[in-house]
Amino acid sequence: MNTMTPYERAIGALQGDKVDELPGYPLACAIGRRLLPKKTTLREISTNAKACADSYIMTAEKYKLPYTVSLIDLAIQAADYGAHVRMDEENTAFVDGHLIHSPEDYEKFQPLDPHEGRLGYLIDTNRMIADALYKKSYLAVHIEGPLLALSQSAGAERLFMDMFSDPEPVHKALVNTTETCSRALKAISETKTPGICWNFLWGNYAVLGDAEYKEFEGNDKYAKRLIKETRDLGLGFAIHNCADMPHLDTQIKDFKPDMYSMAYYPLNSSSPSATKVLEGGYADNCVIAGQIDPQLFVRGTPEKMDAAVKDLCQEVKTGLCKRDLDSKWCIASGCEVPPELSTPLESIETFMNAVHKYGKMA
Amino acid sequence: MTTKEEVLEKLSNAVLTYKRNDAIAAANEAIEINVNPVDAINEGLVKGMNIIGDKYGAHEIYLPQVLTAASAMYGALDILLPRIPKADLSDSKTCVTCVVEGDVHDIGKNIVKTMLTAGGYMVTDLGKDISSDDIVKNVESNNIDILCMSTLMTPTMDNMKKTIDIMKETGYRGNCVVTIGGPPTSPSFAEEIGADHRDANAQNCVSWLKTGKE
Repeated sequence: MNTMTPYERAIGALQGDKVDELPGYPLACAIGRRLLPKKTTLREISTNAKACADSYIMTAEKYKLPYTVSLIDLAIQAADYGAHVRMDEENTAFVDGHLIHSPEDYEKFQPLDPHEGRLGYLIDTNRMIADALYKKSYLAVHIEGPLLALSQSAGAERLFMDMFSDPEPVHKALVNTTETCSRALKAISETKTPGICWNFLWGNYAVLGDAEYKEFEGNDKYAKRLIKETRDLGLGFAIHNCADMPHLDTQIKDFKPDMYSMAYYPLNSSSPSATKVLEGGYADNCVIAGQIDPQLFVRGTPEKMDAAVKDLCQEVKTGLCKRDLDSKWCIASGCEVPPELSTPLESIETFMNAVHKYGKMA
Repeated sequence: MTTKEEVLEKLSNAVLTYKRNDAIAAANEAIEINVNPVDAINEGLVKGMNIIGDKYGAHEIYLPQVLTAASAMYGALDILLPRIPKADLSDSKTCVTCVVEGDVHDIGKNIVKTMLTAGGYMVTDLGKDISSDDIVKNVESNNIDILCMSTLMTPTMDNMKKTIDIMKETGYRGNCVVTIGGPPTSPSFAEEIGADHRDANAQNCVSWLKTGKE
């Protein structure tokens, strides 16, 4: 089979076509700032759209990445709702001042204008990335789903207790966080991005059961509304969920994404391995992106990374063969490559080289 | 007149039915009829919380219910704990729980705190975003037996190592069991930084402390 370009490989896998090799994608996000000619901090990645966009573009180009998921931080919408976001120079931005202290506080969540504030920043950044990577690296713009946006703003513990003991105000807020997501989706669709990556983190059996997840996200009012709108706008649709026990039946078989980015926690016997995912039929109609341990990028030696990628490629190819699939798996990190300064950039190269070496398809 | 057994049942049921106000009322009732606060905690609240923990482990209930049950337990503990005579606490192991500096994600830490409390440990929760110096200062000045540190974020993982390093420098490390948790951590990371244990599950961590270290 002829050698494909990274973009051809990305599209081939999404379509379930034969590919020359499994696509490889480390979720190399903010770590890419270190490729920029000027020293750029994590704080700047969350505040300087041009620097942020350039880091994604340079990362995709340098490592010839088939996919790019623009996961900047998880405090985009929270900031716009009024939560306080802390931005240290060398730490990922996070919320340190939540909004909910009484049931009435859920009224603070009104639909936002996606062209303002940090959502505006997200869209401006992704417009630049989408322009530069058009038909070179398949971009999926990362955006927090309505429940994650609410939990980030409200405080997860408070929110979960209110979901159980006083759900009505929570639902009122979720209607509005979903409306914000919908507006953001439309704004993003006006860029050249081919795809969206919804973060539906709380579909996780360590946190919510099927009934709770369906009530608070997996229904026609919330996630499914956004999924339909994503489809109607002609965008590709990915889900990122790096939780340990993801709701695969709901989020893959019911939501039907084109790609599902997931992690694997071998110490948790309920965390699904690549073999289990493949045997469960979850990759039959969806590209699964996973499941190399992100910590290998920080603490693994080149030999360990090479061995881990080799093992996963073998496991995936065996599983694909059993399901009579030609592709439908992306060797990925399942969660963001740790962006701190101690992560060797060379680990990304080592990872990609190993995927090229062991991911060849017959 | 309410009997001791009835009050213990009320405390357990308040946790099992997620009713904080009922738990507080039952705790006050226990004090009124002179139930030993240690019995009220262990045979009432902890009994209920252990059932909640088992149901969570079996995926019969989920985090919203666990957190609400824990809130009921803490409501009653606020009343009962200050009334325990110091002599009755001398055999209890002491723990500190915290999220390390630079991180404020504390749900995992709070579950560990809850399960440790239900396991009979005397827990001091320092909260989140706690500097290494403050952690060590607290652990040393209170002669703490067990330190449980957590983080969700990768850039803050090294603050676990920093804390342990300070404990080594001050000479207190040998007096204290150190466990760590949080998604980016691993047993190999625990070994690398000199922690004694890493667990992915709060209940397993408590089991490890009880069977492995006591």
